[in-house]
Amino acid sequence: MKNMTTFLYEWKHFVRSPFKMLALLLFIVASVYGLHKGAHVFQKQRAEVEKMEQKVEEERQIYLSAYQEGLFVPEDRPWVDMRTPLWAIEYAWVYHYKVPSPAMVYSIGQSEQYGFIKKITRWASPYDTDLAEEIANPERLQTGTLDFSFALLFLSPLLLLVLVYNIQSMETEQGFMPLIEVQNGSKRSWLVSRMMFYVLLLCLVNVLLISYGATLTGVEIASSLALGQVILYSFAYVAFWSLLYFLILQGGKSISENTLKMVGMYLIFAFIIPATVSQYLSIRRPASLMTAFLDAKLDKRWDIWDQPPYDRQAQLVELFPEIADSPLLRDTTKLDRAIRESTSALENQLQKASIRPVEEENEAKNTFIKRTFWFNPVSFFQNRFNSVAQTHYDDYQNYRDEIQQLVDVQIQVLILDMWADKKVDEEQYVKYYEILRKLEK
Amino acid sequence: MWQIIRNEWQSWMRNRTLLGISIGFVAILCLTIYLGYLQTEAQSERYQSARQHLRHQWENNREMHPHGAVHYGTYVFKPINLLSSLDEGVSSITGNVLRIEGHVQNEIIYSEASQMQANSKFGKLKSSLLLQYIIPLLLIFLAYQSINSEKQSGRLKLLLLQGANPIQLVLAKTFAVTSYGMGLLALTILSYALFHLSQISAEIWGRTILFFCSYSLYYFIIAGFTVFLSFRLKNTSLALTSMLGLWIIWTIFSPHILMSSVEQWHQLPTREAFKKAMKEDRAKGIDGHNPRDERRKELEEQILAKYEVDSLSELPIDFGGILMQADEEYGNEVWDKHFGYIREVLGEQKQSYQLGGILNPFISLQNLSMGLAGNDNWHHQAFLVQAETYRRNLIKTLNDEHAYGTIKEGDDYIKVGPEFFQSIEPFRYQPVPFSATFPIYGLNLTLLIMWSLLAGLLLILGTKNTQIL
Repeated sequence: MKNMTTFLYEWKHFVRSPFKMLALLLFIVASVYGLHKGAHVFQKQRAEVEKMEQKVEEERQIYLSAYQEGLFVPEDRPWVDMRTPLWAIEYAWVYHYKVPSPAMVYSIGQSEQYGFIKKITRWASPYDTDLAEEIANPERLQTGTLDFSFALLFLSPLLLLVLVYNIQSMETEQGFMPLIEVQNGSKRSWLVSRMMFYVLLLCLVNVLLISYGATLTGVEIASSLALGQVILYSFAYVAFWSLLYFLILQGGKSISENTLKMVGMYLIFAFIIPATVSQYLSIRRPASLMTAFLDAKLDKRWDIWDQPPYDRQAQLVELFPEIADSPLLRDTTKLDRAIRESTSALENQLQKASIRPVEEENEAKNTFIKRTFWFNPVSFFQNRFNSVAQTHYDDYQNYRDEIQQLVDVQIQVLILDMWADKKVDEEQYVKYYEILRKLEK
Repeated sequence: MWQIIRNEWQSWMRNRTLLGISIGFVAILCLTIYLGYLQTEAQSERYQSARQHLRHQWENNREMHPHGAVHYGTYVFKPINLLSSLDEGVSSITGNVLRIEGHVQNEIIYSEASQMQANSKFGKLKSSLLLQYIIPLLLIFLAYQSINSEKQSGRLKLLLLQGANPIQLVLAKTFAVTSYGMGLLALTILSYALFHLSQISAEIWGRTILFFCSYSLYYFIIAGFTVFLSFRLKNTSLALTSMLGLWIIWTIFSPHILMSSVEQWHQLPTREAFKKAMKEDRAKGIDGHNPRDERRKELEEQILAKYEVDSLSELPIDFGGILMQADEEYGNEVWDKHFGYIREVLGEQKQSYQLGGILNPFISLQNLSMGLAGNDNWHHQAFLVQAETYRRNLIKTLNDEHAYGTIKEGDDYIKVGPEFFQSIEPFRYQPVPFSATFPIYGLNLTLLIMWSLLAGLLLILGTKNTQIL
């Protein structure tokens, strides 16, 4: 009962402290701003994807009507023959998107470091220059975007600090503590009750903010569980800081000493540890300049083209045994052309091999970061929020894997159909569009 | 005043906790410089090896048609800046690799940040992280403690009764705290100089000295405000928490809000809109690869008239090279327009953000710090412009060879080989001279000076009107 009274009485303390009220207000303002920022990025990316989808559909309709009208050779491009799989696939206009999740409202994460629209061609790779990220001010990216996860991860510990910094130490400084101990029986339960008020207040504010964020982009609990996960992680995060501050307050004797310790803890967990991990990583594994991939794009690519056509044909047969008894083998003109147009498959193999060490190096960096999570909690929570919002590195790695998968499919379909000397009609063109977009789960 | 400053230093030296903290700070600062040095070395090694590899590849290219070489192209890498040990700025955010080829101005890609999952929102453990975020906090506690201890022990009243000038007292306390920050700063710069002794030029010294001055001004502002509040407010805890609140607003809250807002005020185009606009403009010009292009015919007629011949086969030159260069020059105008617009918007964003220094001196310091370290967006853009100039010269050289070069005996068309490729100079980034940075960062420096004057004025006027006795 006494604890409940203490808990309820804390409300009076709180409302009578303009400094604490202002801090809470600032946190709410920053969080709302962050939620709107997240919603803005989500809506912007979604609009870009929709616009591109619409453009692709319009282009496709033009080619579809060309098939319907039997106009297989465009007037301005006499070298094109849309009856061949080569041009039909080229004009199938296959794009792959990293569709933003509505949960992006909570964390923009790494979404601004990667592109999210990619045209799939037989020459494409997930590391092409056209997959550059959205245009943004690098200084803003460096300063960091104030999204909701930033407010939660970096401002809520400060808010909690402002709310609890003088609990117990003020009473100790003013000499009230013996009186409080007599009245309450236990100093610890009195401290817990007072702290619990602010912890619950912060959790309540977070729930309200998260719910408000959900209304901005339509995050559905049933479909993604994102809402529940964000709430859960926010509680866990507040609990982590509350425990840390509680331990400091419990042993502290003066306001300045407690504040110094709490600010010190904040600096260590929010700044020093993540920064040290990043610094160590950049010494052990400096930024990759992708030389293996660049080699594949330049020199080694030409090495493939320098090979005699029949050597390339042998390699293609090894990759696609189905073409070993192709009808094209009887027509040297067609065969030469087929080998030339299929060489992209060999380049694709080369590119994939050159990408592998790059991705392995990236994976090693990620594994290292994950290993630090037990003493690097801010980074852990940051990545958890990014995961929920589907703006984590892994989400973009999946996107890159999907791009590669679609490139592989496109090359396979092209080679099998081209070497089978297939003729493309309207029905086949429509089928291409479906097949070339389909991802294996 | 000197006596008070000396006394302050003596009392700090006697305080074991503070002495421990100070030693810890000095060790961490030296460690950050050492780690920064190791990182610079590791990254430079990777840069040099990649650069040499690509150059070797370029110089030993197979024989090919000059236009083949235009498409073959090469890559340039962004070098690591020596001052990155102090402040890395935007380096880990921007890409490191730029594709150089004909017909297109590419964008820099493969940033360090994109090669791993998110880890640190405030960058790596660089000196700037400690100097910007952590040392000011230490100064706040020091300045607060300095006045608070005088008040609590009653020494403040005693000193004033004995005839001490209150203005001199607060100024001396402020200078003493500032000098503590400057001491840590000086140690940072010194250890930086020690690690990079052989590479430091007058240019770098100039930047480092201004770096030192900027941080010193900021430390004076922090110390001044804290001393003022601690002296002025009866409740010293309130002074401390107010100053901490100010620190939160200045360093965590407002830079993020302002930077995000600035991007809203001066909006950059979306990637797709940017590409579409360039494609549309590009389509209006000559298309070197389209034989049916009308503008190509116009150029053909002009060249035939110039050489007074009737057909392309009669020309003493290869019309293809002229055509490709005309295509390139038109393209360059398009890139200048669109990339120029992006640079313009980024410039406007920077200026607006710099003006935020009127309300927040931390913004001025942050701008100055990464600018003087040569790692802000302005320096990054300077690298991109130089790389683009190199691309244009390289492509022009190849197109000129295409147009005016001679076909060797036994060949069907002009070919260029290793000898020609070796004659082309590699890309060498020329760092922006220190003198050129003044117009950009003058505003930041002015605002920091204004803030320092304001802090000084507050101390003088505020102390005059305070009743201690």
